[in-house]
Amino acid sequence: MNLYTTLQKLSVLPSVSGREDGIRALLSELIAPYADEVRVDNLGNLIAKKRGTGEGKTVMLCAHMDEIGFLVNFIEDSGLLRVAPIGGINFAASAFSEVVSESGIAGVLVPDGKTKPADYGANCFAIDIGVKSRKEAERKVKIGDFFVVRGGVRRLAGKRITGSPLDDRIGCAALLAVAENLWQEMLSADVYYVFSVQEEVGCRGAMTATFGIAPDYALCFDVTGTGDVPGADPMACALGKGAAVKIKDRSVICHPEVVTSLCTLAEKHKIPYQREVLLYGGTDTSSMQMTGSGSRAGALSIPCRYIHSRVETCDMGDAEACARLATEFVKALPEGK
Amino acid sequence: MTVWKPEREAAIDLLRDLSLSFGPTGCEGEVARKIMERIQPLCDSLCYDRMGNVLALCRFGEGENDRRKVMISAHMDEVGIMITEICDDGLCRFDTVGGIHRSVLEGRTVTVGDEIHRLQGVIASKAIHHKTKKERNQLTPWDQLYLDIGVSNREEAETLVSVGDLGTFDSDFYLFGKDDSMVKGKALDDRMGCAAMILVMAELRKHPLSKNLDLYFCFTVREELGLSGAKVAAAKIRPDLAIVLETTAVGDLAEVTPGKQVANVGQGGVLSVMDRSTVYDQAFLHFALQTAKEDGIPCQLKRYVSGGNDAGSIHKTGEGVRCLALSAPTRYLHSPSCVTSVEDYLSIAALVRAMLSRMSGDTP
Amino acid sequence: MNEELKRDIFELSGIMSVSGFESLATEKIRERYQTYFDEIQVDAVGNHLLRRSCGRTDAPSILVDAHFDEIGMMVTKICEGGFLRFTSVGGLSQSVLQGADVVIYGTRTLRGIITSTPPHLRGDSEDILPEAEELLIDVGYPEEELEKIAPVGTPIGFAPRYRELAGGALAGKSFDNKACGAIAAYAIAHTPRENLAGDVTLLLSAFEETSRIGGVAPGAFSANPDYAMVIDVNLARVPHTPKSETVPLRGGVSLAWSAATHRELTAMTKALCQEKEIPHVMVAAPSSTGTNSPTLNLVGSGIPVVDVGLPLRNMHTYYEVIAPEDADALCRLVQAFIESPALAERFGGRKEELPT
Repeated sequence: MNLYTTLQKLSVLPSVSGREDGIRALLSELIAPYADEVRVDNLGNLIAKKRGTGEGKTVMLCAHMDEIGFLVNFIEDSGLLRVAPIGGINFAASAFSEVVSESGIAGVLVPDGKTKPADYGANCFAIDIGVKSRKEAERKVKIGDFFVVRGGVRRLAGKRITGSPLDDRIGCAALLAVAENLWQEMLSADVYYVFSVQEEVGCRGAMTATFGIAPDYALCFDVTGTGDVPGADPMACALGKGAAVKIKDRSVICHPEVVTSLCTLAEKHKIPYQREVLLYGGTDTSSMQMTGSGSRAGALSIPCRYIHSRVETCDMGDAEACARLATEFVKALPEGK
Repeated sequence: MTVWKPEREAAIDLLRDLSLSFGPTGCEGEVARKIMERIQPLCDSLCYDRMGNVLALCRFGEGENDRRKVMISAHMDEVGIMITEICDDGLCRFDTVGGIHRSVLEGRTVTVGDEIHRLQGVIASKAIHHKTKKERNQLTPWDQLYLDIGVSNREEAETLVSVGDLGTFDSDFYLFGKDDSMVKGKALDDRMGCAAMILVMAELRKHPLSKNLDLYFCFTVREELGLSGAKVAAAKIRPDLAIVLETTAVGDLAEVTPGKQVANVGQGGVLSVMDRSTVYDQAFLHFALQTAKEDGIPCQLKRYVSGGNDAGSIHKTGEGVRCLALSAPTRYLHSPSCVTSVEDYLSIAALVRAMLSRMSGDTP
Repeated sequence: MNEELKRDIFELSGIMSVSGFESLATEKIRERYQTYFDEIQVDAVGNHLLRRSCGRTDAPSILVDAHFDEIGMMVTKICEGGFLRFTSVGGLSQSVLQGADVVIYGTRTLRGIITSTPPHLRGDSEDILPEAEELLIDVGYPEEELEKIAPVGTPIGFAPRYRELAGGALAGKSFDNKACGAIAAYAIAHTPRENLAGDVTLLLSAFEETSRIGGVAPGAFSANPDYAMVIDVNLARVPHTPKSETVPLRGGVSLAWSAATHRELTAMTKALCQEKEIPHVMVAAPSSTGTNSPTLNLVGSGIPVVDVGLPLRNMHTYYEVIAPEDADALCRLVQAFIESPALAERFGGRKEELPT
């Protein structure tokens, strides 16, 4: 599987939190060759399982398949759509974007005239779908419909890529690569690949998925911020320096055993890695750590510049490193129940 | 076939009784007892759990296999206050339990106490004569609001109330407007949901369903804390589906632009697409809209993302529960005078009944 | 307070258990308590569950929770000249950071000093405190060596240093909440087995200071008790604090009335204090106790919980202060709680509590 081609396919499907049907269908197709079972739970999480010998640990690898977006709240007489944000929308970064609804209706997201960027917020934004009246709009769109910024990725210099939503389609692509890597391996562990829903609205999907699986170990794949651009918070994480082994963010402190194991394996197999302490943000890791009886939880992050914008920028080398490191992590899990 | 709708007078009497009951968050016993008395004959079995939830099971159909579990839930608690300190002059300091804005507290009478002993008090601050010009047009700060139970020293106060005692608004319940179409009272959030559930249970007793359904009617505690007894109830029941009956805050007042009104009183129950705690199941939402359309029961979509309810904890329970929220559009929520429409209350009960009778293996 | 308990309090409080690193303390906990408890288990999150059985079948299961994690710091960057950039773990009091002695728990344990600016080099208007992230720790090691000894992510704590003050009061770091853990362990360990009203689990829980949920959720999910007591330190009264949100030092334990805990269990625990003449004060914590109680209350099928506090001054600083009278009161209350037949009678005998 080519990581970049997969990512391209994944990035163009709208999949706002709570409405992940489209991408779930594609991921379900892509994961099927590398899993013994594939199912969908009540919230819509896609859960694939590679069976072990029955005498090993249970490990859950997770990447979220939802993205931030907009909910149509109200339709003006003029046919402009008023919206509410779903997830952490940065309106300054989304202004003047092309958007598209779940059913494929195209539009543009624009601020009300004369609004200064400093005052940007949901109440002064609208989606223009090119209609002349409310009546005409209502033939295409209903209150409650979801829109996303039109997705897609492009290559920059070297291994760098840009586009949206890399958060977290790049994690999904890496997770697929892990499944492919492990498929031929004889493992004692049961391995679950989870493509979770509703991460952007509070890491909800990972809770129910974790409850059903009750893993011993849990590993999350998501993007993380970097300290390598002017004005960024001081942090050691940088693009192109390898898989970021998460130690802490605002929602979680990873299990010391998982952190140590990941760093040791990276050195042993000469996989580039960096240690990550993020001063903000949160991921599914916290949900996986605290649900049910809890799990030994960690995360592999793919450093990403300009998160939640149209030009999220990553280095494919980091994603490849994450996939390799996760593969080694699963292979090196302790034997026995 | 005509569509069932609850009988108006009986429905209002039920709502009045529940609205006037004392049930601040954490002290829902009186409401629970009143509800249990009413539903005892309407269900197959009943349980008052140690958290204070009232859980009732109504079983339908004879089949033993592929029975579906549906949880229908409304919360019994209401926003209130708690006494935090008794001062030397016999006045009490207090804090809120659940979200009350202090603009609706000052100048109100309240009922304070616990499940057994209760008395009336007045919430006030220093007189206007003692207020500076600036203070007069500002909200009274928390540390200057007090509860006056009518005594003049600490010793006397301590014989009547204790730190930790709870209170609720002391407010009349009445109908008003043309044809008495509007209803006003405290705690309509969410006694209206509780009342609607009881109406549905009574109707189902008269006209049972033929499907293999286990309906769990859950009257829950502590929704207003955002922690919710519903979480515990759902964890025990592990339902396939859940319907949460609620009230939702609307702002459909004169001269408010339509985009900011959220929903309209009098236009039927409000179905949510998303709120701060839940993104609702799409298929379930479509099923509700379709049912309403077919039976000619009014309902509307919520036009704003705000608030949250028990669905927030129910849908994340176990391996996940598909949820629907149906709310009465209500003005002035969390005040002593909540206002909504009698018709909306009745149509919510009707829509729940209509959905239940349509539920089968593949819907929603 | 006897010498054994005092030593326990100092010892436990001195163990490094910065939030997220609790599992590194397992050996020390085992060493101290394995002779007193039937079983000591560490779970996937870093909770320690210490079990003591009453030896009867069908006995209720009682949980006593005291969080074991402490606030601290973490290395975020290694800087030239032998300095570490760091971030706080939990709600560190910003006002006591400058000039503090700290310990860096790397592959080797290092001492360090948080930097401060002397008056000579300060300009005017210096009343604003710097954030933890703006300060450095001076460790006196070259950068290259620090990369190995204390890489990004290494936990840091205040240096353990303990003092006895007038009237037997104790001063030191991390009494929040390990003093409570030590007292609870002492009380449970010294209750004769035949007096136990049920099987007792002491949950030394992880992640109270940093997680919205807290390790108490998975811990209690595994323990699955019939009823529980949460013990945490409570803010003792000092100047410029509201009376309704504080308790007097040496006034005994505090019991909280709250909409987020179990009212009947709270009332019964209060009655227990009265019956045994244990000094106590009732406080109101209307919507939340700010402790593990609200979470614990809603774990699984719901767990009745009472919230108990030990008065403590100077919370989240280098020198927290507790009083021996309060420690003794807490010790007696824990003992009374796990011995009480009335509580076992009312809350034991777990039923499914579902209509069928």
